[in-house]
Amino acid sequence: MSMINAIVAAVEQVTPLVKHFTFVKEDGSKLPPFSGGSHVVVSMDIGGRVHRNPYSLMGSPEATDAYHISVRKQENSRGGSVFMHEHVTVGMPIKITYPVNLFSLAKKGHKHILIAGGIGITPFMSQIADLNRLGADYEMHYAFRSPEHGAFVEQLKKSCSSRLHCYIDSQGEQLDFKALLGDQPLGTHVYVCGPSSMVTVVLETARNLGWPERHIHNEQFLSPPVGEPFNIQLAKSNIEIQVPADMSMLEAIEAAGVEADYLCRGGVCGRCELQVLETDGAILHNDHFLTDSEKVSCKKIMPCVSRANGKRLLLDL
Amino acid sequence: MMERGYWIKSKPIYTSLVWHEKATSHLVVAQGQGGLAAIKLFQQMHPQQPVTTLYEHSDIDANFAITLKKVVPEDLHLLKSEQEVVSLLKRIMPTKRMGLRIYVAGSEGFIWAVAEAVKEFGIEDADIMKELTGTLARSIYCVHCKAITHNITTNIGKCSSCERMLFVRDHFSRHLGAYMGLMVDAESPGQLPEIEEIYP
Repeated sequence: MSMINAIVAAVEQVTPLVKHFTFVKEDGSKLPPFSGGSHVVVSMDIGGRVHRNPYSLMGSPEATDAYHISVRKQENSRGGSVFMHEHVTVGMPIKITYPVNLFSLAKKGHKHILIAGGIGITPFMSQIADLNRLGADYEMHYAFRSPEHGAFVEQLKKSCSSRLHCYIDSQGEQLDFKALLGDQPLGTHVYVCGPSSMVTVVLETARNLGWPERHIHNEQFLSPPVGEPFNIQLAKSNIEIQVPADMSMLEAIEAAGVEADYLCRGGVCGRCELQVLETDGAILHNDHFLTDSEKVSCKKIMPCVSRANGKRLLLDL
Repeated sequence: MMERGYWIKSKPIYTSLVWHEKATSHLVVAQGQGGLAAIKLFQQMHPQQPVTTLYEHSDIDANFAITLKKVVPEDLHLLKSEQEVVSLLKRIMPTKRMGLRIYVAGSEGFIWAVAEAVKEFGIEDADIMKELTGTLARSIYCVHCKAITHNITTNIGKCSSCERMLFVRDHFSRHLGAYMGLMVDAESPGQLPEIEEIYP
């Protein structure tokens, strides 16, 4: 997969847990244009092992001098966000993928309700730039833990003005999803990005109120969960690989030198899907891509986030 | 002609009307024979949410107005032409909110006239449940002179404007509510394949 060679141009501590990184191209040229809601995958070499994490682009899609991402430090993670926080400094070279958009605005929508929880605000930062440019009708509903954790609130007040609605948990402010989604004009689309509990509530609320599926959008990148080690067999490459506890199947396949397709690496896009030829155990599907019936059939697996617990898992790769 | 698995993506798929369980309100729009589809819908159950029903009953051979008055307990509008349906839709749609579910039953031309009328209110045709009733007759858009000819029941039909003989394709324009018609004897004038009724 072709990558962009970038350099870290700035690092800013935004809240106690969130850092904002600015990337520019190594050769000083402009970065590729993108659309609101896009993300890039950042490659990190952590102790000789390559981690690749997806992060939403926050800047205005029109400003391609630099890309902006924000990373929340996840203490109980496999180390990608901790590495970004503790080891990435100004001037460091960094490899990123070309932008991909899995969370784009419905251009024909008459109104857009954006709902963010915590660090889930990041994809909306670029979408708001697009919505402002289009003169579209929108509302930004932003919930966060406490005032010091409200990343980019001042910037949002400027870009959204009266369209911004903040809900600060520590001050007892709650977002009433049913009231919000229960009284919207026809042609409205809702977008949610945040913790999985929030995404689930928004999706359920909109569906129960009779919103068509096409009007409901969410983005929820998963990080590969840690699990028990297991072995996989690759039919075409004719090798057996052990997937360690703290590595994803996709990472283990890459580490073994086998080229595999991927885009989001977060269980969303479906690009890395592999065919399961044989298995003697259960597949632990962790993705948001396969349908429930596909998951039950055990014929397909998304190696970026899913795991297995048998002795044999023969893949068509 | 009809190969197995042959399918054109733009060809519309029609189903039978069934209430959406999850909704905040419902809008049923029917015409002629579509009145029977609306009656069948109301026989399934009567939803808890408010229902508005529009019925165009200009077709004297298929007029279900009397029965509809009996089975639709509230908010039933009986109308005399497609134009009346479209103008009433334009008046009531601005008052509707997200959660409205739309059901349309009637001829293909009627279905797409309704879809076109509600489009400006942010309704995509894929969000509308559609039941085709009565005839399968097609409207044909002549790709040569751009005229639309209605009620074609055969595989080949004559353009009402330029009189070319048109092969009726499955390519469908949602915007025009018509199928593509392509001159069938352009390379060998006058030599026509057998004309058969396939859209009765």
